[in-house]
Amino acid sequence: MSFDLRLRPIIRWPATSLLVLVICAGAPAAAEDRTWRTVDELDEEERALYDPARTTPRDSAIPYIPAEPYPFEPPYTAEEMGYRSAEFVHISRWDYALVDVFGVVTSSGYINQGATVGYIATGGRDGFKGYLHDKKAGEIYTRWLMHDTFPPENEGAQQLWLPYRTDDEFRTKMDFFIYSPQLRRVRRQPEPRRDQRFPDNSQTFDDVIGRDPWEFDWELIGTDVIYETMRFPVTRPKITLNFPGKGFVERDTSSLRPMGDEFPHYGPDGGVECWVVKATAKPEWLPGYAEKYLVLWLEKNTFYPLRQEKYGHDDRLMMIETRLAEKQNPALGEFGYAAMMTTYWNVDFDLIGYSNHDAHTLREWTEEQKDMIFTAEFMRRQWQIEPLKTQAIIDSPDQFFLRPHLSPDKFPAVRNPRLKPVVEARYRAQEAAGKLIFETGGGDAAD
Amino acid sequence: MKRTIWRCRACLLLALGAGLPVTGLGTELGNWASKFDRAMAGFNPVGKHLRQPLERAVPNLSVRGFYRNWSDFLLSESGTVGFRDQDYRFLQLQNLFELQANYHFAPGLDLRGVAHAMYDGVYDWQDSRGLFADRLDSEAKYYNTSERVLRELYLSWRRPGFDLMVGKQQVAWGKMDGQFIDIVNSMDRREAVQLETEDFTWRRLPTWMANATFHFGETSLQLLYIFDFEHDRQALPGSPWASPQLPPTSNDLVLPTRRPRAGDFGDHQYGLRVDRSAGALTYGFVYMYAWDKNPVDRVLGTATNAGQTVLRIAPRHERLHHAGITADYALTVQNVPVIESLPTVLRFEALYTNGVRFADFRKRADALAGRNTDGTSKRDTLRAAIALEFALPGRSTLILQPSWYQTINHEEELGFGFGGGIGDEWSFFPVLFFSRPFGFTRDRLSLEFTAFPLISGPDAGWSGIKTKLRLIYKFSQFVRGQLVYNGYDSGSPSDFYGQYDKWDNIGWELSYEF
Repeated sequence: MSFDLRLRPIIRWPATSLLVLVICAGAPAAAEDRTWRTVDELDEEERALYDPARTTPRDSAIPYIPAEPYPFEPPYTAEEMGYRSAEFVHISRWDYALVDVFGVVTSSGYINQGATVGYIATGGRDGFKGYLHDKKAGEIYTRWLMHDTFPPENEGAQQLWLPYRTDDEFRTKMDFFIYSPQLRRVRRQPEPRRDQRFPDNSQTFDDVIGRDPWEFDWELIGTDVIYETMRFPVTRPKITLNFPGKGFVERDTSSLRPMGDEFPHYGPDGGVECWVVKATAKPEWLPGYAEKYLVLWLEKNTFYPLRQEKYGHDDRLMMIETRLAEKQNPALGEFGYAAMMTTYWNVDFDLIGYSNHDAHTLREWTEEQKDMIFTAEFMRRQWQIEPLKTQAIIDSPDQFFLRPHLSPDKFPAVRNPRLKPVVEARYRAQEAAGKLIFETGGGDAAD
Repeated sequence: MKRTIWRCRACLLLALGAGLPVTGLGTELGNWASKFDRAMAGFNPVGKHLRQPLERAVPNLSVRGFYRNWSDFLLSESGTVGFRDQDYRFLQLQNLFELQANYHFAPGLDLRGVAHAMYDGVYDWQDSRGLFADRLDSEAKYYNTSERVLRELYLSWRRPGFDLMVGKQQVAWGKMDGQFIDIVNSMDRREAVQLETEDFTWRRLPTWMANATFHFGETSLQLLYIFDFEHDRQALPGSPWASPQLPPTSNDLVLPTRRPRAGDFGDHQYGLRVDRSAGALTYGFVYMYAWDKNPVDRVLGTATNAGQTVLRIAPRHERLHHAGITADYALTVQNVPVIESLPTVLRFEALYTNGVRFADFRKRADALAGRNTDGTSKRDTLRAAIALEFALPGRSTLILQPSWYQTINHEEELGFGFGGGIGDEWSFFPVLFFSRPFGFTRDRLSLEFTAFPLISGPDAGWSGIKTKLRLIYKFSQFVRGQLVYNGYDSGSPSDFYGQYDKWDNIGWELSYEF
């Protein structure tokens, strides 16, 4: 039984959890419980949906994308699956407002959190199609204005992100401005380096802004069933979320499902079937990029990336990202899912980060609002036009999200999720306790 | 002496390395550090017991604030330096408490108030004859006037097309390190050469004004009508940073300074700013009809003092016309050796000032000889800077900012004037700034290094260098500490930095925000 399978019933029936944990801790996965299959083991239905072709005709106008019109028809090549997954970047490709609550915890229990009210205005049509076809490389395709509301040190700080549509010629990812209440000035900043995590955080710039699918070679490595993505500790049985129209709603953390409550494709046992693909960075598109390849678990119907692993050039596991999705834009159908919560486990530094997109509120910005709000000059006005509140900030380190499942047994030919001994010890301690264990000795070191 | 300084710098680094709960500690120490981190994670007493209950009781009210302690300590006590008796060690023991309240009346209509309480223990907590500024003006020790305690109080009305803010406020123009077009408010410069850009927001002296901005898409127009006046506060005689080159007394007969008055319409100030964004380029223009924030000694005539002929002087502020430009441009340079890509920003600012009045020492000599002159000369000045900011690997930032100060038609006999060269025709500061966080501390520890070399010409040449090394550590989301070393090296005793050669100091800052 994999960790994924094991933990799902534990969360649902906490009374039995201790016993099950004791029994299962460290037990090898039994073959009959295997949830994953390689490409060779695909069933008929899956083979009908999958096109193994590695080269397909190219678009006449944009030579680096497939000729078949997006969002493609089945059967899908691995590349097309990658393109479909690019629909679901961290900041959704439509107009809305949200409170992004984010944070990181170190192995010693130091937590650094933030909350920022964000306004998002997307140019062109909603979704990846708008990014692909409605904007030329070098044009700004979306505008994000963020007002920090937590911690007190950052209150009043603002960021304006103006990401560009890019290609192999135009590579500047965005214009970036900050407003510092201490300096009382708007300053243009250099764009962050793409593969570098933000200071005091586990997310990289590309984790936030998304990666263009044409920068990678795609390969299907199999299928899997996922039962749990975000993992709450036993010390946090409830979370208060802000739902538009409902206000603050307290939810049992065990009731939060990977694709949200309304998702119609859960299996009888609650699992979510996924394609598992490998995306290898193309050196000519991403010279010097720190990430050699990614392994992604894409929900089978929507291609929503529920889990992503990053590997370095030495094939070491660098990060695991897992998401809880929710259909936030019903008008877009299966394209309307968005990341409600995401965990980023930076394995190198054993940094566990999270981002919770609370109070996701669809908006239709008027032209006047677009002209007014999404400019550098607007930041000087220190005007939070639509205050949004959250109660999702974590109170203490022992309520922090758990490290994602490691699932070391899956796809051994492609994945090698080995941990350093000190990190592995912390991971095992966490699995046994159902919460993060900080006093492991050896301080805060990655070793 | 220099060896001692470098030893001190090394000790500072070693102390930091040993004192912080970071890597390589044994189990016991690691667990202690973990307990400390977890205890600090929730340490926010004012937030929990004041802010949160208050905001729950009055939903339209939001409150925030901080307590901050700054302490700077001289590395050595040097005795007599120029006109100073440097018999003290602490340059500041400042405790600053800020409380900020915002009340939201209606969409777009808000009231903001900011209050400060400050106490500097340098005058009470060390035995010194050289420090006596608190007896001249108690403001040196603590804020005891409503003017200083109530820092800001303004009503803001925001509509899509314009903003109007009326009341006591500060307006920061410019984007550079240092002040180029940042000319609206005066400043408390009690720390003299140690005043830093990040402290401007606490040190600016807000004034009563009406501040309106009109927005037209990518363009904005800001208009300022300032009916109040605040002058710069320089380091007082007998304060830790008073210049050792200035004699504490003068034989001249100095009359009270005539300041611009709020009740006199003719004394009011006006400002205008236009900004525009065009993709990767943003640019703007500023104009201000303002007063020089520092008075210039005007000679009224001569008098006899203890049998000597002396000057009768009336310090007065001068009207100035300021015109400036600002621009910035972003790009990512590709195919850079080793690092492949290099995100870069260029910033530029320049300010031309017309009608700056300088003390003219030849004319003062003429006045003393009985000739009819006010002892001053008018000149125009230009100050400008270009900054290149690079985002380097390792979350490191490098900024190069060459800055230029020029007095047009300069003469040797001129003293200091707004925007001009420092004691010379021109002054050049090739400022260098580098910062990076340390991954092994999970970025909780970061280092900043700044060098401010100064070259003036055509006469002075090399005029000394200021170096600043800062280590910042985040204890929690609410508490931050830092250790700072400031060094003043080389240059002659009459140079801008050289005069503070004996003022090398280390300091710490502890700040709690709620």
